[in-house]
This record gives sequence, C-alpha cells and structure tokens, in this order.
Amino acid sequence: MKFAVILLVILIISCVFGSFITQNQTLSWYTEHYSERVAAAIIALHLDDVFHSVWFLVIAGVLCLNLILCNLTRIRPIIDKIRRAGKAPERFEGYLKISGVEDPEDVFEKMHFPKPAADETEDGEKRLFASKNRAGLFGAWICHLGILLLIVGFVLGQLTHREYTVYGVAGETKTVGDTGLFLEINDFQVELRDDDTVSEYRSRITVYSAKDPENRASSEVTVNHPADLYGYRFYQNSTGYAATVKVVKEDALLQENVIAAGEGVRIEEKPMLTVFLQAFYPDLFMTSEGPKTASGKMDNPAYLYSLYYGEDLLGMNVLKEGEEIRVDDYVITFSDPENYTLLQVKKDSFTWMALMGGLIILIGLVLAFYLQQENLAAVREDDGTWTVYGRSGKGSVIFKERLEIAAGKPAESEE
Amino acid sequence: MVFLAIEQYLFTSVLILYVVTMLLYVLYMILKKETISRIALIVQIVALVLHTLAIISRGIGAGRLPLTNQYEFATAFAWGLSLVSLIFILKFRFHLLGAFASPVIILIIGYAAMQSKEVKELMPALKSGWLGLHVASAIIAYGAFGVAFVLSLIFLLRDKMKAKGFLDRHIPPAAKLDVISYRSVCLGLLFLSFTIVSGAIWAEQAWGSYWSWDPKETWSLVTWLIYAVYLHLRIFAKWKGKPAAIFATVGFIAVIFTYIGVNTFLPGVHSYK
Repeated sequence: MKFAVILLVILIISCVFGSFITQNQTLSWYTEHYSERVAAAIIALHLDDVFHSVWFLVIAGVLCLNLILCNLTRIRPIIDKIRRAGKAPERFEGYLKISGVEDPEDVFEKMHFPKPAADETEDGEKRLFASKNRAGLFGAWICHLGILLLIVGFVLGQLTHREYTVYGVAGETKTVGDTGLFLEINDFQVELRDDDTVSEYRSRITVYSAKDPENRASSEVTVNHPADLYGYRFYQNSTGYAATVKVVKEDALLQENVIAAGEGVRIEEKPMLTVFLQAFYPDLFMTSEGPKTASGKMDNPAYLYSLYYGEDLLGMNVLKEGEEIRVDDYVITFSDPENYTLLQVKKDSFTWMALMGGLIILIGLVLAFYLQQENLAAVREDDGTWTVYGRSGKGSVIFKERLEIAAGKPAESEE
Repeated sequence: MVFLAIEQYLFTSVLILYVVTMLLYVLYMILKKETISRIALIVQIVALVLHTLAIISRGIGAGRLPLTNQYEFATAFAWGLSLVSLIFILKFRFHLLGAFASPVIILIIGYAAMQSKEVKELMPALKSGWLGLHVASAIIAYGAFGVAFVLSLIFLLRDKMKAKGFLDRHIPPAAKLDVISYRSVCLGLLFLSFTIVSGAIWAEQAWGSYWSWDPKETWSLVTWLIYAVYLHLRIFAKWKGKPAAIFATVGFIAVIFTYIGVNTFLPGVHSYK
C-alpha cells in the first residue's frame, strides 16, 4: 500500500506538470516563454506531452500491476474475513462491551441488525449473534478492480482507436480516411437564436461503403447526439466558414473551388500562384486591431485573403462581396459564403471497458463507505442479564455512540 | 425577467441571513445560551430554503438549469456546503459546526456576488441531460469537501486551543471529529467520482472523447487522487487526527483550485468563455 501511495503522489505531481506546462509546443515556443535551460529540460523530460510520454505510461503500467497484485493477494483474506464475520467468535476480543442489558433483542433491533442467531456453548452459555454489511468488506477490492478496468480500457482505447475528421459543405461527398467509407453531407444548419448566439449545429449525413454503395445509412448529427453508422461514431465537432473561389481569365471561367477558411487553392494554369482564404467576416467592421465581425449574420460579408507566388507574399487584404483580385491576366473572386461542418469520426472498441470501470468504482465506493461491516453479540450471564458485545469495521466512535444509545448504558472496551 | 428579479432579492436576503447565522453563532459562543444556538440553526435552515428558492427562480427565469457559469456555480457551491453542513449538524448533533461553516459559505456567496449575473443562453455543448447530474454531483462533492475542511479546521483549532469548558462541551471529542471529517471526505469522494464518471460519459457524446486531459478534468483527477492518498494513509500509516486534518485542508485547496484556479489560470474546454 505504501508503494501505491508513492505512485499516486507521482501521478499527482505529473498531472500538475501536465496542466501547468502548455502541452505539445515546440522547443522555440518553450524557449520564448521560459528560459533556454527550462525549455531544454521540458523537452528532455517529455514534459511537453506528459500524458503520452513513456514515463507516464510506465507509471500507469506499474500502478496497474500494483492493483492486480493487491487484488490477487487480498481476495483470499477478504473471503476469510467475510466468513469469519458471519460466525460468532469464541472470545469477543477487541469488541465493545455493555453489561447488565435486560433485553438484548431490542438492542439488535435498534441497531438495525437482522434477527440474531441463538446458540449455546459447550459450557451451557446462551449466546445471540448477528452480523451485517459483510459485502462492505469487498468495497475497496471492487473499487480497485474498477480503477484497473478503467486504466486498461483507456490505454487500450488510446492504442487501438481510429479517428478521422471530415469537413465539407452541404452537397459534398468526402472519403472517411482509409475506412473505405464515403460521407455525404446532405445538409448543415447553424441555428441561431434572436440574440445571434448559436442554438445548435445540425448536420444531416449519409454514409455508405465503397464496396456496397447501394447500402446507405442516413442520420442527423448534433452536438451531444452523435450517430452510430457502419461501426463508427460520427460527432458534430465544429464549424467554420467556407467560400467559393472563382478564377476567370479573359471572361472564361478557369476554375471554381470551395475552400474553407485557412485553406488555399492553386491557380491550375499557373501553379506557383496560390490564393488563401485566411478568414471570413459575415458582418465586417474595421477596428484598430484589424477586421472583426459584428454578428453571425451575413449583413456585410468580407473575405481576408492572401496571395502567394511560390513562398513570396504578393498581397493580403480584405475583399468585400463583388470585389475582385487582379493578378496578371487572372481575376479572382470570392462568393457564396457558407458554413462548413466538421465531423469527427471515431471507433474506440474499449470505451465500454473504461465506462464499466467507472461504474464499478462507484459501486465499490458505495460498498466501502456506506456498508460498514458490524457484528453484534449478546451473552446471557448467571444473573439473568445479558452482556452485549459490538464491533464495527470502521468509525468505532460513532458505532460506540449508537450502541450506547441502543442499550441505554455506557460501553467499555473488551480486552 | 420577474423570476430573475425575485432571484436577486432572494440572493441578497440569503447573503444577509448567512451573515446573521454567523453572528448568532458568535453570540452563542459569547453568551453560551442554547436558545441562541437553536435560533442560529433555524436561521440557517431558512437561509437554505430561500437559497433553494433563489436557485429555482433563476432556473425558471433563465429557462434552463442555473448551473453553467461562475456565478451560478458559486451560489450552488455555497448551497451545497450549506446543505451538507446542515445534514452533518443534525446527524451528529454538532451545532457549532454552523459557526465555522457559515464564514466559508459567506466567502463563497461573496465570490458569487462579484461574478457577472448576466443570463446567457446555453452553447450547444451544454445542452445535455448530463449537465444537471454532472454539476449537481460536483456541488455535493465540493460541499462535502468544504465541510471536511471546516471540520479539520475545528480539529486543529481544538488541538491548538486545548478546548476547555464551553468549547470542550460543545465540540465533539477529537476522535469523533476525526471520524466525522473522514465521513465527509467519503461523501465528497463518492460524489466527485460520480462527477468525473458522468462528465466522461457526457464528454464522449459532446466532444468525441471521454477523457482529453483538459485542465478541469486533470485537476478533478488531482483532487480525487489527493483524497485517495488521504484514505490510504489513514489505513496503512494510521494517519488519523492531526495529520489527517492537515491533509483534508490541503485537499480542499485543490478543490478550490479546480473550481476557481483552473478557470482563471488554465483555460480549456471547460472555461466556456
């Protein structure tokens, strides 16, 4: 148990590091925010990605091993303890003792014990005995089993899960990574309230396999309501703006592409020339800090673009609806802004195990904390009165108080 | 809007009543009259009832569960602490617990009073049936840890002052204080576990991952681990009494950091800014 506590303390310290040190940054980022020496230490000790570092996994592994050994070595003693707790002992060593009780069955009842079993020793001593909450002795064991399941489920899930992101606008069909699945975005709506806040993101999707395109499954996906299709779970992850880029040369449309904010498109005739849609503002207003949007409504749409020739920036500006970028013989325009939907597609075959682990932990805690194993016995004395003996696994102070109230007499410890 | 206005009147009344509760308990300790203690308890019960009504009014006024921003959670946290402390006062017949719990309740309500009371609509991620279960269990957990913290302070104070006379008669013996504090930690740990499990189920539906090491998640785990260490040390190192009281106090600092510190210093998906 001492080793387990050391592991828990190491885990606490690791979590503190992992939460205070911004994760997954580069050496230059850490150098900029800390000192050069600290940055080097962060990278060397993998503190830039604490929760995926080898040493963190080793700690988790050792903790699992500790839990396995702990549960294996404790199962037999617990079963023996439960068996022993169900039988009246020869001597009531370590029990609380109250002498001169007239009606012992009343004490059993007031202490909420089941009806006691009566027996008689070889010496002709009459005894009553009852035990309760023996299942509580399993509490910590069950809790440890739950923790073990949770960690194993989580680690296996991390190692084996498959995850993809798919984004697009309504009407587009996208491939889902290497799954062999196609995802058709039938519709995507960003539902706004009167105060312009987002009420819901709602995607309507159809999924089908490349092997069997006729067998199609459709569903609606909203935040908090993922869809389970073809063995994968589809989540409504986020959204952003997309727009149509048109490239015209001498009044002839050369190309037309839909791109999301942050994406760029090459001019096919002149591949060194690339136009990027840096950001979109549905309701543009200019501030000293740059362009911003006043609302989510398309009242004054504008596009922040950048134009590159190779790696050289040719220009960057805000373009309003109907305005054009002219470069060489090309006329580039942005139009038809719309929201794209970003869906997360995931398969984690061990989520159930982690969830089961969590539920088992809860059961274990309830048993350990609220089913305190207690024994109560009464022995008939020669003068006709009874001596009551009681013992509680934990919280003996409170148990003693309850026992004294039930018996109406002070209790003393039996040596 | 009417219900929100009612909530503000109730909130102010509740704050005043908790201050009155604290003053009555102080008066009780000075005058040593049992009647004052009984009045203080009644005032605390009335404050809790009005506090409940205030939360319900805000819920009706906002048209949703009022458990989604710093103000709402702070007032609910104070409510949880008040509820759990009352349960412990009545269960263990320990009236003076109210004298030590009420200043902490006032501090938390005071923190709530400093937060924006603006009612905002829920973002899509928060529109889930899990919100109520997840946050309500967190409130009980935090309330229970708060009571354990108060009991630990009383334990340490009793130890320091070597309580005699009135305090000795009205504060349970050290061994009993230790057990009550332990029970409060158990209640807190059970509800914190439920908070983490329900949050994980919800996160899986909303964000596609039941655990993503978000600062709030990580610090909930840190808090859980601290109290797990507390329980283990009680068993194998016999860390009861003073060391356990100091440990429970440190645990509550982690609770407060998880609640306020993380939102302030370590923004993540739980920040909802």
